[in-house]
Formats: sequence, structure tokens, C-alpha cells
Amino acid sequence: MDTWIDLAKGSLFRISLAICLLGVAYRFGVAVWQINAAHRRAGDKRLPVGVIVRTTVQWLLPLRLFRKRPIYGLASLAFHLGILLLPFFYAGHVNLWGGVLPTWWPRLASGPSDVLTFVAMAGLIVILLARLLIKSSRDLSRAGDVGILLLLLGLAASGYWAAHPTSSPFAPRTMVLIHMLAGNLALILTPLTKIVHCVLAPLTQLIGEIGWHFPAESGRRVAVALAKENEPI
Amino acid sequence: MAIATSYYLEDMDTRELPRRFLDVFSTILSHTNYALVLDAASRMKARCGRCADTCPVYQVTGEQRDIPCERSELLLQVYRRYFTFGGNLRARLGDTFVLDDAYIERMAEDYYRCTACRRCKLECPLGVDHGLITHLARWILAEVGLTPKALVVATREQLDGKSHNTSGIPAPAMKDTCEFLEEDCVDEHGLKIEFPIDVEDAEYIFFPAVSDYLLEPDTLMGNAAVMMATGASWTIGTDDFDGINYGLFYSDRLLDRIVSNEVAELKRLGAKKILIGECGHASRSAKIFIPAFCGGEDAPEVINIMEYTYAQWKSGKLKLKPNVIKQRVTYHDPCNIARSGWITEEPREILKHICVDFVEMTPNRQDNYCCGGGGGTVSIDEIREFRTMTGGKAKADQIRRTGAEIVVAPCANCKKQVAEVCQDHKLDVRTCGLHDLILEAIDAPEFMIIKKDDDEGEEA
Repeated sequence: MDTWIDLAKGSLFRISLAICLLGVAYRFGVAVWQINAAHRRAGDKRLPVGVIVRTTVQWLLPLRLFRKRPIYGLASLAFHLGILLLPFFYAGHVNLWGGVLPTWWPRLASGPSDVLTFVAMAGLIVILLARLLIKSSRDLSRAGDVGILLLLLGLAASGYWAAHPTSSPFAPRTMVLIHMLAGNLALILTPLTKIVHCVLAPLTQLIGEIGWHFPAESGRRVAVALAKENEPI
Repeated sequence: MAIATSYYLEDMDTRELPRRFLDVFSTILSHTNYALVLDAASRMKARCGRCADTCPVYQVTGEQRDIPCERSELLLQVYRRYFTFGGNLRARLGDTFVLDDAYIERMAEDYYRCTACRRCKLECPLGVDHGLITHLARWILAEVGLTPKALVVATREQLDGKSHNTSGIPAPAMKDTCEFLEEDCVDEHGLKIEFPIDVEDAEYIFFPAVSDYLLEPDTLMGNAAVMMATGASWTIGTDDFDGINYGLFYSDRLLDRIVSNEVAELKRLGAKKILIGECGHASRSAKIFIPAFCGGEDAPEVINIMEYTYAQWKSGKLKLKPNVIKQRVTYHDPCNIARSGWITEEPREILKHICVDFVEMTPNRQDNYCCGGGGGTVSIDEIREFRTMTGGKAKADQIRRTGAEIVVAPCANCKKQVAEVCQDHKLDVRTCGLHDLILEAIDAPEFMIIKKDDDEGEEA
């Protein structure tokens, strides 16, 4: 078991982290490059920067969500807070990062981390229930959509039990291994699934706006390419 | 197979439809910015269903295909399968999705169940603009011949026909109509108005929805009264006098041609600015796409008649009598001018001034519900029941809750649709434009007022 745990927190973690970082950097880089290219081609290069910034901030801090669906908004905020803070600030995780993080890096003690874990799990359960019980969400959901939520729920639960072996329903070392494997899987999936929105979210409103900024010659070029420039309607 | 849709299609070539669809898709991706949008939507689409809560069509049907996210997925699936590395790889590993005639038929049907109102965009936490994806899908479908006949026929007349407008009104008939309206305005309202035709070097060249010449005389008289009262330098061109742009609903290349024709008419007459009448999509297509297709920052300025009227009223050049309209009045926000927050307050301030009892619909402004006839569907008469009883139900419910006797809908398409919605939902409500009421409330300067004796004297 210890050998597996060493592997999961050693080589496997480093590989997963590398895939995650390189993958999201690639996705982000491609998106920025595409945005730049689209802007250069746009017939009208003026962008409503104020509107884009305002809507981006509105969604990064889900203000609109609170107004429209307060329970869902709260659940979403709770889940995102937990999932973003715990990997980087829980003391146990900071130790795992080794010398990568500076010595002054803040560490969340066990108590606050437990609270954050429960808050995140509660948020995840609400979102999962919403996905399963609300007809429109259920109709749209694919196995992967539910699978990602279950993975993150398992990651949070196994993390809690790994940190509190006495309350764990399974062998404590097994729980540590499950937590590490689930964490590595989440890292690998980040650039490959919709979790990639963790880095692309700040760009989405800009992308939506630039999408409507058509290249000046686009219609005419398409007509020529389709040999329809002289074709009657 | 023959393609069957709930709307009429013109005769079309159905041979090798999937291959032709993919050829067009590929060409469009090569020359436009859509790949960026499709890439982002494909990677991040949360499929949370929040867009469903906002869609007036889904709220009535409850059908999965009417969820904006699901509709977008129709095109995104084709994009991923045929235009991404991952999709190619998955196909080799056993993904069985293949674009076929039945799938294209489903797209042709489902993308015209959307009113392109873009209300769903406001609620998407990841900013996916389903309206833009619908817009693209309709363009691809159009290039393989799948566009409602009603839209094609109108656009053909506008771009290839003799009249150069969607209603097929010859320029002499338009001039006659204007003369008739000038006389009618004297008879009905005691006001002298003028419709300047082909005047060179005017400040504004005016493009209303051409259907106003046939269906909305009070709107046009109100427009002319405001221009006359404020001493505006304006003109209507006889080569092109139609602001309608169905290209916005189904083809970027036709959208480009229509706005380019507007700019050509402006240049022919040496006008400086483009003034669009009370029409949401005509305003948006000119405001956004004249800069896109006709010169960027150097493109002529575009303003909507409500912006003009409001500015003149605020500056004191236009005087409006307060509390002239005694009935309860509500205001419908046309999606194309309100969703982005462009024009929401100007008409409200005017209405609050001239109406005794102005009430708001809820929700309103950027959050407003579409009338149900957006995206060109208002022109498709064969789907009227779907338009009014499904797409327009939310609007009917809103109007009913206000208890209003008059709905102001400052858009030719919305006006037609709201009138039909009220008719089909048994609502006894008058639908009109903003300038119809302004015509009743205008405190006209002396030179515009024709006393009955003067009028009779002139006739004698």
C-alpha cells in the first residue's frame, strides 16, 4: 500500500500536475491567440471594453446567479471556494507541494479546512441534486457531467477521511490512496474537460463579443469560395 | 430524402446534402471568426440547463430540443466530429456519429424554433452565446438551400428585384404613399409634415422598415412630425429605402450586401448619418454591421429614430405635451435594441412624460421576453400558431398582467407579432409604435399647425 501511495504522491502526481499545467497553459494560449487573430480580422475593431469587464466580473463573482437562483448560487460559490482553496492552502497539501511554495505561504489549519471541505461537499451535493432533479439539467446531462461532480465529491470526502482516519469507514491508508488517485485524475482531466473553464472563464465574455465582430470581407470571401458571388438569391 | 420542415422551403437540391453542408461549414470557418466561438463553447459548455429557465419557447414546450444549450449542441457536435483533432480521433476509436440528411433536417427545424432573442446568453455562466451559434447554423443551412421561403423571397426582392425592398414597393408608390401621409396628417392631426425625397447633402438618410409604408402610417407620420418640428435635415432615398435586413437572420453574406446598399445610398445622396426607423433588427444590423462591413471607425454613424427624438426632446427642440395619453400604456423592449442595453431608457422617459398611466412589464429592459417572432420567424406565416401560442405565450402573459390597453412596440416585426399574439390570446390591446403616440402628444411649432380654415383655403 505504501508503495502505491508513494507512487501516487510522487511520480504520478508530478506527471498529472505537468499534464494539468501544460494543458491549461496550452488551452489558454490558444484561446488568447485565437482572440487576437479574430480581433485583427474584425471589420470593426472597437470593443465595448466596459461591458465586457463588467459581465466578466459579474460571472467570476456570481452576482447574477445569486439574484436569480440564490440556493444554486450559494452552492456554486461554496463548491468553487473549496475546490480552489483547499488544494493550495490546506496545511497537509502545502507540505505535499514541497519546496515549490514559499515559506510564507499561508496554511489553513485542520479546523478551517474541515469546515471548507464540508461546505464544498454540501455545494457539490446541491449541484448534483439540481442536475439530477431539474428536468432541463437532467435532460442535458451526459455521464461525464455527473462523473466530474462525483469525482470531485469523492475527492473531497476521501480527503476528509484521509485527514481524520478515526472517522473513516475504510482503512485509512486506502482512503489516502483513493484521495491521491482522485486528485491526480482531476488534475489530468482539467485541460481535457469542461473543468478547463477554471482558466478560460475570464475570457468567455470577450470571446462572445468578438464572435459578433465579423471580418470585413467575410461575406464576400465566402461567396467567392462557394462560387456564389454572381449567383442570384 | 426530401427535407420536411414546419415552414415552406423553395425547391432545393438534396443530393449529397451532408457533404455540401460540411463544405460550406469548412469554407465559413476559413473566412470568419466562428471557430473561436465554437472552440470555446465546445470546451466549456457546462450543460447546466440554466439557459432553459430563460427561454420562452422551452418554458412552454418543455421539450429537450428547445433548450438553447441542446440546440447549440447540434452544430457543436458536427464541429467537434469533423473539424477538431479530438473528434477525428474519437471517430477512429468508434464514435458512431455521422452527419446525415436526417440530422440536417433536425437542424433546419430546430434552429428556426429559436427566435434568436439571446436572452439565454445573459444566464449562461460561461458566456456561451447560443444566439450566435444559431446565427451561424442558419447561415450554413442557407448555403445548402435550407431557409424559410418567406425570408428568401423577401431578400431576393430586396437584393435582386426591381424594387430593392422586401415588400416590393416601387419607388413611385413609396413617393405616393408619402404624399398621401402628408395630406392625411393635415386631415387627421392638423399638422403639416414633409417627407423629403432624394434631397442631396442631408444630415440624415432615413431607413424605416419598409413595411411601415404599408402598415404603420401613424409611425411614419410621427417620425416625420418629429423631424419637421426639430428642423432636421433628412431625406429618403428612392434607390434604397428599406431598413429591413433578413441577412441578420440567415446569412452573413446577405447581411453584408444589405448594409452595403444602405451605405451606397447614403453616399449617392451625400448624406452624413444613417437614421433607422422603429425597427429592432434593422437598427441592430445597421449599428453593428455597417462598421463591420463598411469601414470600421470610418463608417457612417447610425442612430435609431428613438435616440434622435429623445435627444431633441431633452435639448428642448422638441416639445411634447404631458399626460396626453389617458389609457394604460406598457412598453415592449425589442430584443435587438434592448438585450445589449443599447436603447431602454429613452422611450420609457418619453412615455412616462406623455402618458398618464405607464406600467412596466416584468421582466423588462435587457431581461425582457422576446415577442416570439424574433429571428425572422414573424415573417413565416405558416408557423403562426407556434409563434403566437408557444413563442409568444410569455409575452401574452406579461401583457395580460399589466392590464394595459396599449402596448408600445417600437419595431415593425415586434408590432406585427405582438398584435397577432394579442389576437390569438384574446387580449383586447392596441399595439403601436412610440411615434404613433408622439404624434398625438407633439406640441408642434406654429409653422406646422394647419388650422381647418387654412386647410380649406389651400384646397380651394
